Amino acid sequence: MKLLFQKLRLPLIAVALVTLAALVAQAQDPRIQTASLDHLAAKASQTVDVNIDERLIRLAAKLLSDKDSDEKEVKEIITGLKGIYVRSFEFEADGQYTAADVDSIRTQLRAPSWTRMVNVASKKEGGLEVYILMNGEQIGGLAVIATDDRELTVVNLVGLVNLDKLAKLEGQFGVPELGIEKAKPKNDQ
Amino acid sequence: MKTIRIKALAVLSVTLGLTFVFALVVRAKGDDFNSVVKLIEHFYGVKHQGIPFLAKAGMKVTTTAAKIKGGSARRLAEAGSVKVAFFEDQTFAGDFTRFRSSLNAALSQTWTPLIQTLSATDKEQTYIFVREADAKYNVLVITIEQREATVVQVTLSPQNLLLLMKDPEGTGKNITQEATIIDQE
Repeated sequence: MKLLFQKLRLPLIAVALVTLAALVAQAQDPRIQTASLDHLAAKASQTVDVNIDERLIRLAAKLLSDKDSDEKEVKEIITGLKGIYVRSFEFEADGQYTAADVDSIRTQLRAPSWTRMVNVASKKEGGLEVYILMNGEQIGGLAVIATDDRELTVVNLVGLVNLDKLAKLEGQFGVPELGIEKAKPKNDQ
Repeated sequence: MKTIRIKALAVLSVTLGLTFVFALVVRAKGDDFNSVVKLIEHFYGVKHQGIPFLAKAGMKVTTTAAKIKGGSARRLAEAGSVKVAFFEDQTFAGDFTRFRSSLNAALSQTWTPLIQTLSATDKEQTYIFVREADAKYNVLVITIEQREATVVQVTLSPQNLLLLMKDPEGTGKNITQEATIIDQE
């Protein structure tokens, strides 16, 4: 038995290290999984799934004009991106999705890899949670969970994100109007 | 001698296997439009009307021009690239989430799903898939409503693909409109 263990020790350590590396890599993956929300499509009055991968983004960045100021700004935002993924559900009645549905996304956005931004808010009614994944000094991924009584939207940007110009993407490339803005500092008085 | 034979046999098996896989991929890539039409027919128990029917009805499928926002006529699809299948006045009842899974499974090898919109209340579904075609792009737009459906495949220039990416829903509708509208000009 001891001999067997000695023989298998190195392969076992290797398997353990590979598993650990895979788990760490998964925790730092800027692409979040939304399959847990699939069942909501049967109840939603409107479901939208957008899937723009790196090849399409690179093509768009190449085609957007440098002369048009709006296009130039959008080009700057998408140049570092590797994917834009949106899942949005609208319902005709309240309570069609549960806290567990939202938690299935939140659990993927945990520290230390992901950090929730506290200085952003939405001009629209409802809740807005913005999470970022740091890649050194830069933002390597972004996730937005927007909730309302009758709406649930998850936006996932993979790659380098310019947070200051994020609002410019709203209404384009399948990103819905989320009304994202920097929150004003609270007056303590 | 035996080893050489085994090696030769292994090489032959791998070559045949790869040829078979390649043939399957090529076949899937070339025939996805028909596969989607067949999938709709099989899933919903309906029958499509193809281009000959449209031609009889006086529609010039490959040279249509759609009136889009602002009233200007604009062609999105490259000339001669349009394939259309119509399903008219038939019932599309069934679990659309299951249909979506079947469709995605059928196209996932060669196409990228750009946008998919579903409405459980209105029983409407729209799917837009994209794939590269040399320097251009093939776009497959599948629209299913309660009583009718349309499958349109077009080739887009990179510039028009950019329009589709910027406004997937709006441009997708324009592509279907453009491919199915009666050309009055």
